[in-house]
Amino acid sequence: MKTTTTRCPARLKGGLLAASVAMTLSAGTVFADGEVNLLTWEGYADDSFIKQFEEDSGCKVSATYVGSNDDFAPKLAAGGGVYDLITPSIDTTKIMIQAGFVEPVDVSKVPRWEEIYEKFRTSEGINHDGEVYGVPFSWGSIPFMYRVDKFDTPPTSLNQLWDSELDGRISLWDDKSALYVASRVIGNMDIYNLTDEQLEAAKAKLIEQKPLVRKYWATAGELVDLYAAGEVWISNTWGGYQSALLAEQDIEVQEFIPEEGAEGWMDSWMIVKDTPNLDCAYQFINMAISEQGQCGMSNVNGYSSTNVVAAKNCMSEEQFTALHQDDVDYLDSLLLWTNLGPRLEAYTNTWNAVKAAN
Amino acid sequence: MKLSTRNRLSAAGILSLPVLWTTVFLFIPYAIIFTYSFYQKQFPTFVPAFQFGNYALIFTDPQYVQVLLRTAKIALIVAACALFLAYPFTYFLVFKIKSPRVRLMLYMAVIVPLWVSYLLRAYTWKTILGSEGVLNSFLVMIGVLDQPSDIFLYNQFSMVVTLTYIFVPFMVMPIYTSMEKIPRNLIEASKDLGVGPFRTFLKVTLPLTTPGIVAGATFTYCLTFGDFIASFLVGGPDGLMVANVITSQFGAALNWPLGSALAIIMLIVVLTIISLSDRVERSGRLDLA
Repeated sequence: MKTTTTRCPARLKGGLLAASVAMTLSAGTVFADGEVNLLTWEGYADDSFIKQFEEDSGCKVSATYVGSNDDFAPKLAAGGGVYDLITPSIDTTKIMIQAGFVEPVDVSKVPRWEEIYEKFRTSEGINHDGEVYGVPFSWGSIPFMYRVDKFDTPPTSLNQLWDSELDGRISLWDDKSALYVASRVIGNMDIYNLTDEQLEAAKAKLIEQKPLVRKYWATAGELVDLYAAGEVWISNTWGGYQSALLAEQDIEVQEFIPEEGAEGWMDSWMIVKDTPNLDCAYQFINMAISEQGQCGMSNVNGYSSTNVVAAKNCMSEEQFTALHQDDVDYLDSLLLWTNLGPRLEAYTNTWNAVKAAN
Repeated sequence: MKLSTRNRLSAAGILSLPVLWTTVFLFIPYAIIFTYSFYQKQFPTFVPAFQFGNYALIFTDPQYVQVLLRTAKIALIVAACALFLAYPFTYFLVFKIKSPRVRLMLYMAVIVPLWVSYLLRAYTWKTILGSEGVLNSFLVMIGVLDQPSDIFLYNQFSMVVTLTYIFVPFMVMPIYTSMEKIPRNLIEASKDLGVGPFRTFLKVTLPLTTPGIVAGATFTYCLTFGDFIASFLVGGPDGLMVANVITSQFGAALNWPLGSALAIIMLIVVLTIISLSDRVERSGRLDLA
């Protein structure tokens, strides 16, 4: 999903080594029959599965990384045919379509399309005027996370993020999603359709929380640092990602889905309008939803796969269960991010007002 | 005639590059931002227009005024802190250190950090001020604190400390230059006339270093005013600065028109400060004449 940090988990090293050996062997053979340029999250263009694709397809892959979903539009708005494929999350896909940055996907060129979770294939965010605009690639939740050694009784509710006992140990993602959190605490569960009054209520709730907040975290690496330096004990997180990074530093954290529920997200590959590299783009998409791409992505990022058939083929039983691949109820329990449409501005302004408040 | 034509030609040749540079990299971008600031937000992006809604919003929605005032306050505190650190230090350097080599070494000690990445230096303060940081460990060790405190980091205090540390060389340099230029016989004359050291400082040294102080204060104030890294790295929930809001308008909010209007206001603030300081400096010169 979203990260600006580089990392190389221990479990990956073998794969990387194999990939680099493979690359050395293939050096001098064909490359660059074509190319495909990605604007994506860092873990989505990892050498562990990209190198193989380059060899097999002859398409050279170049990747530019984004730090947040907010980076896609400004980069594409700047114009210039630089990127062929992008991977915005499901709350951002519609904006890409409406702004005219992307073109429809011809699913007849995506043979394994039907294997992808129906819920994702038919989701409103990637379907527009009877056309499909995105190929679902990965999904996960925005759970909460706490330091195991700092809690006698494990937290279960979002109310703890307003608990003065935890003064100065709380962190929230510096994102409009803070409004989703506050709204659920208040009891406004329709978090993607908040009225102006409900946004005001969420704002007041967040301003009330401000004195307790140590820092609003902006990047994955920053949250990891905040936990590692002992600054923060409880926060929201990108499920599976930061907890794995902290585990590598021997800091024991536990993710949990609060009583008030958690948001879910899903990322899709979208084709940038008028790309000259359409053939390589389709080859890449087909690789992405195959075993190679799906397990490659899951292994690097700890996120769940959208193609459950492929996941079944390439994952161990434990990984398959841990990533909730067989658990449709879990997926349905998540409040899947939704395009906010013209309301986006109201949400963003409200969140900015929270941060601006004294 | 011929000669002056050639002079004019060569002058044009020499000037053309900087003129081209400022046009392409300064004036055109300013003009673009200025134009954008009248555009209108319209989902999903924005459309060309000529209206003052963005400016009106900045002055009617309290969040923008709040952030502008906070930014101005922090910039003022940073400039003041930098002055109170830099002035005595520079005074000591210029008037008390006899060895030119020691003086140069101490001067360089202040300037050298400028060659180290800004980000790295800001980041270092996190490890010093943090809950498990150097300062806390030290205070606990010597018994001042029972347990580590979290009051040092992620608030406006840590932002002021970091920004002061980073920008203090910009205060030292102009003050040093102005102090070094003071003819020593002026101070001796003052002494000869029976004026005490304190009044000599007030009547001779301080007025003659005012241009340096003004230049240093302008630098530190304007640099702080436009900073967004300190807020990002060591600022807490109450550390949002105007440059952060601009970043967010160009990114998350996808409201380039509002971001541009904020940038124009920031530019006006900075230009006002610079022209004011220029005037103070000029009036100082007149006093001497």
